[in-house]
Amino acid sequence: MSTITSSHSRRSATTYINPANGYNRRKTINVIMLVLTGLLTLLALVPLFWIVSYIFIKGSQYLTPSFFTQLPRPLGMPGGGVLHAIEGTLLLTFLSALFAIPPGVLAAFYTAYHPQTPLGIAVRFGTDVLSGVPSIVIGIFGYALIVKPQGHYSALAGGVALAILMVPTIIRTTEEMIKLVPQSLREGALALGSPEWITSFKVTLPAALSGIITGFMLSIARASGETAPLLFTALGNDRFEIGQLIRGGIQNKDSILTILGKILDQPVDSLPLTLFKYTQQPYPERVNQAWTVALILMGLVLLTNLIARVWVIIRTSSN
Amino acid sequence: MDSNQAKPSLELTHEKPKGVPVLVSFSKHDQTELQSADIKIETVNLAVFYGKFRALSDINISIPEKRITAIIGPSGCGKSTLLRSFNRMNDLVPRSHIEGEIRLDGENIFAMGIDVVNVRRRIGMVFQRPNPFPMSIFENVAYGPHLYGIRNHRVLQEIVEKSLHQAALWDEVKDKLNNSGMALSGGQQQRLCIARALAVEPEVILMDEPASALDPVSTLKIEDLMQSLKTNYTIVIVTHNMQQAARVSDFTAFMMIDSNRAGKMVEFGPTAHIFTNPKNKQTEDYVTGRFG
Repeated sequence: MSTITSSHSRRSATTYINPANGYNRRKTINVIMLVLTGLLTLLALVPLFWIVSYIFIKGSQYLTPSFFTQLPRPLGMPGGGVLHAIEGTLLLTFLSALFAIPPGVLAAFYTAYHPQTPLGIAVRFGTDVLSGVPSIVIGIFGYALIVKPQGHYSALAGGVALAILMVPTIIRTTEEMIKLVPQSLREGALALGSPEWITSFKVTLPAALSGIITGFMLSIARASGETAPLLFTALGNDRFEIGQLIRGGIQNKDSILTILGKILDQPVDSLPLTLFKYTQQPYPERVNQAWTVALILMGLVLLTNLIARVWVIIRTSSN
Repeated sequence: MDSNQAKPSLELTHEKPKGVPVLVSFSKHDQTELQSADIKIETVNLAVFYGKFRALSDINISIPEKRITAIIGPSGCGKSTLLRSFNRMNDLVPRSHIEGEIRLDGENIFAMGIDVVNVRRRIGMVFQRPNPFPMSIFENVAYGPHLYGIRNHRVLQEIVEKSLHQAALWDEVKDKLNNSGMALSGGQQQRLCIARALAVEPEVILMDEPASALDPVSTLKIEDLMQSLKTNYTIVIVTHNMQQAARVSDFTAFMMIDSNRAGKMVEFGPTAHIFTNPKNKQTEDYVTGRFG
């Protein structure tokens, strides 16, 4: 009753709000702000288009099929390609994903469901610190951890270094995605008597999968563009060719494990590493090839992102 | 405060069990009396704590078997907390614990050596918002049986069909069992969740405001479904909707918070008594809409 009487008395009192006051001023400010935000958005996009078009113009010169299928030729000889770097990048990316994703996802489940436990807090703090560690420091760590004891550079060491770089991103993005899954879904499974681990893998993970995969792809894209950690671990190897290693292994009648060991145990190159080395050389041809390497690298990252986004669209539309 | 008032002046529910109820607990001092229904779940001086906060205190309630028991009361009075302690879902809340006992068929479900998985298989739950898993309709229903080791596809098919029949959903989905469960309407999703709960052959079904997110037609379907399920299952429903409690339930418990903000059982008895002849002033005020 009291609210009704008070609203009555309010209505009969003088009004304070006059909508006509300052109308034009508000309208003008609104238009100015709209134009300003639009212009600044365009400005933010300028570097992207600039970089992409510049690299495309400079890099398309050597963009031939043989650039993708051949190893580098000795200096002074025309032609040759960067097959070694493409294969190396794919190998390193695969290895780092293999090392980083399983522990990253499990850790994310732990921190998502036990955020207040000492371990949960420690892991969260640890990932924050780790994601801020300069990548070259991680390279040195990989060197001390694997290269030094083994006595030689290897793809394995490179994969581990990149994995360390990826783990924090994977933990944090996966954790966020798991937290986005409604609690009621998890409760629904638990109420059926489902143990927590089965609930996590059969109900929560599929529900969060599209977001988690996007996180994977973004961290993979980032890791595949890294140079610094590889300088101390994978080193570079312009004779690296997986096809050759496999063919040689089959000729020697080596077991699959031996061939795999050979692939993992020698230094490899990667696109960013090749790019870095080519630009350091005083030969115009190498420098020009470096632009093409940059183009391929950019295309690879773009492709990975594209796959991730298309995949998400397909998944969400099918549900 | 005698318990011989079995003839309520006003018949509120359409299907009153014959010859049953005089199961009335007027206050915490009185003993629960039971004449013809067996007790399925019984709480003994139950108190639930979230950290140091006492959310429920001195709850003594006896849920009769194969009847529908409604729990009503204003928001925040601990209805859901009570319901969720019946299948130990409150275990999931960090730093929660209980005092007292909850007995399922006379056995304390919080006792040492009791497997919570088994408790939850015997006491299924349907939630406020439909929560189908992001899987096909078939997989949603087969999730539970699969969990309990049934791998034979033919057996799973039988269980799925039987459960969907029981949940009155079969005719609507029989041609699209492989479609996603999330693509169904809200009411269908809720019946899918009921089918999913039925598939593990529970004895009790807890429903936490199962129709509050649904439209009136779907609500009616869920209520009819409850009536058909009570021949085989003990049903406990938490509801905000007093008309719903009056329509569907055989027994009603009214809860309120006390001066310490802890939920208490004010009155429990046959639904007709609670709604037409309540013993407690607070109950009367609440069911007549003078309050809350």
